[in-house]
Amino acid sequence: MSYIETIRSCDDMVTPGMSACQGCGGELILRKVLQIAGKNTIVCVPPGCMSGAGVVGWNYQTGMKIPVHIPLLTNTASFLAGVSQIYQRKGRTDVNIIAVAGDGATADGGFQALSGAAERNEKMLYVCYDNEGYMNTGFQRSSTTTKGSRTSTTPLGKVINGKEQHQKYMPLILSMHHLDYCATASPSHMADMVLKIEQGLAASKKGFAYLHIFSPCPTGWLFEPNQSIQIARKAVASNIFPLWEMKDGKYKITFENKKPIPAADFLHSIGKFKKLSAEDIEEIQKEADRRYKLIKNLALA
Amino acid sequence: MSKIKAMTGNTTAAIAASLCRPDLIAAYPITPQSSVAEYLSELVHDGILDANLVTTESEHSVMSVIQGAACAGARTFTATSAQGLAFMYEPYFQMSTMRLPMVMALVTREMISPCTVWSGQQDAMSVRDAGWIQVFVENNQEIMDMIIQGYMIAEHDDVLIPVNVCYDGFYLSHLVEGVEIPTQKEVDAFLPPVHFNHAVLDPDDPIAVDSLTSGEVLMRYRKTHLEAMEKALDIIEEVDKKFSASFGRSYGGAIETYQCEDADIVLITVGGMTGTARDAVDIARANGIKVGLLKLRFVRPFPAKRIAKALSDKKGFAVVDRSVCFGWSTGPMYTEIRAALTNENCDFSHFSAIGGLGGADISLKHMLIVIEKLEKEKNQPGQKDTLWLTKEL
Repeated sequence: MSYIETIRSCDDMVTPGMSACQGCGGELILRKVLQIAGKNTIVCVPPGCMSGAGVVGWNYQTGMKIPVHIPLLTNTASFLAGVSQIYQRKGRTDVNIIAVAGDGATADGGFQALSGAAERNEKMLYVCYDNEGYMNTGFQRSSTTTKGSRTSTTPLGKVINGKEQHQKYMPLILSMHHLDYCATASPSHMADMVLKIEQGLAASKKGFAYLHIFSPCPTGWLFEPNQSIQIARKAVASNIFPLWEMKDGKYKITFENKKPIPAADFLHSIGKFKKLSAEDIEEIQKEADRRYKLIKNLALA
Repeated sequence: MSKIKAMTGNTTAAIAASLCRPDLIAAYPITPQSSVAEYLSELVHDGILDANLVTTESEHSVMSVIQGAACAGARTFTATSAQGLAFMYEPYFQMSTMRLPMVMALVTREMISPCTVWSGQQDAMSVRDAGWIQVFVENNQEIMDMIIQGYMIAEHDDVLIPVNVCYDGFYLSHLVEGVEIPTQKEVDAFLPPVHFNHAVLDPDDPIAVDSLTSGEVLMRYRKTHLEAMEKALDIIEEVDKKFSASFGRSYGGAIETYQCEDADIVLITVGGMTGTARDAVDIARANGIKVGLLKLRFVRPFPAKRIAKALSDKKGFAVVDRSVCFGWSTGPMYTEIRAALTNENCDFSHFSAIGGLGGADISLKHMLIVIEKLEKEKNQPGQKDTLWLTKEL
């Protein structure tokens, strides 16, 4: 079955009336993950854009067709570990246990719980939609924010120009937890993303599976909503966000980027990078090249 | 047949928990609780206890794993102390406000700073408004009995509130005493299997657990939580009677009084110090002082009415706290007991005594000094200065 047929054949688990921004990458990712997972699923959506957009429900109403809980920003993976433990204990091992969490709940506040659950190989699929900041609370920096980004806590000031540090590269850190499956994905490469969701779900029945998905944010990053997929495509094409997977300890580049476009092409299409100097751009380019080479070397090993 | 064994408080807690057939135990080490986690781990690894054991990377995750397990309908157990409790505060508060029943042993310990790992009740007292039921116990047998009772109280349909069984770090956790261990059959007959479904995540019956909630609706949640706390006061007495019928031991429910009937003055204690206070009362009585003892067992829900009744015809009382109430210059239970007496004739003579912080001893001499001071001032109504139970006293 082609990925289009797969998506067509799966019901949407999320309310049609959620209040995410136009062009939101997170909403697309949430819907696709849960569409493929289907009804036999328990999902946690910690504080962030997706829970803020109403999918965890309001008062006595729910925003999903499946059981959903908004855990704390800091405990998504450990909360789900408890759910998963009891479902394994009851012999209901077919139930999908899924987290859909932003980068703040994943790479910052929730990092300890995530690392612990991954190390213990708790059976679940943890999906991080990485929009590189605390977009729900007003675009503050996170540890996955790209260097040079304007955020509300790294403004373009008279003395300091945007975020000063490079991003923490979460997927590689998670892959070092001896996971069954770890991959990056982008909504611009939907066939690849659907396949990875399927593989992640399969791996989550044996142990901890992690997906790190690029999530363009028109509202926080400042670009036109209809450009989201284009932006995601450029992130992959420029090696800012390389697509790879790790399965059974083997790394593999899933999108061989034979002719990378300059990082500047990606950066210039986004408002949050508008004040980058030529040196800044060069440094980001170097970092993208270095990262791609690192993954490539891992894939060769 | 039950048997009597010499055991530490921590071993007692672990055995009590295992007798309650938990589905899941989450464990993380912290002094002085660690041996609870160790002993339970041994029981699971030796195949004696059929429970999922999750050894997490922190106490924050301990309470989170437990919350997840409870949201899948499980009976759970863990133990913690001081900094561990502080670290798990975030999911700790959520556990009670999600109305998820469980029992957690709280091996009470002083809070840092300055750096300390020794006994004190500041940890438990500092979270007494986090929505949990808290019972403080006097000896190892009471640890055993209250963990078993704790599940029955917590899981009661009219309660659904998690329970902390609080016992003094080192003074009980590491103290060896004879403890009667009931048989598995006896505990099974007393404690039915866990059953609750108000916050269960199940694809066969999909609901949103903890959706975003408006203030008007949230206030309803809080109100029912308070009502359940109030109701728990009755359930505590009920369970004490049931337990007594099954195991032959009764603790008097939310408070226990000793030699109070004809007493002029009353010494009020919390936790392990009560044993010393009993001896002090006996000695003072032998010297002609008409003193009684009120052992405050449940701090949440606060048995205000029973306390007021027990003290109504007395001349004075002193409360010995093993923690402080910042901003009041007294111990926390002193302030609460005074609050419980606002409807009473307020001619009491009373004071707060603070001692035993950071592992310091509360000696028999201390208890006798408190009684003597109280006796001397019993005809002078009003609050006296806080008495610090130091070595030099």
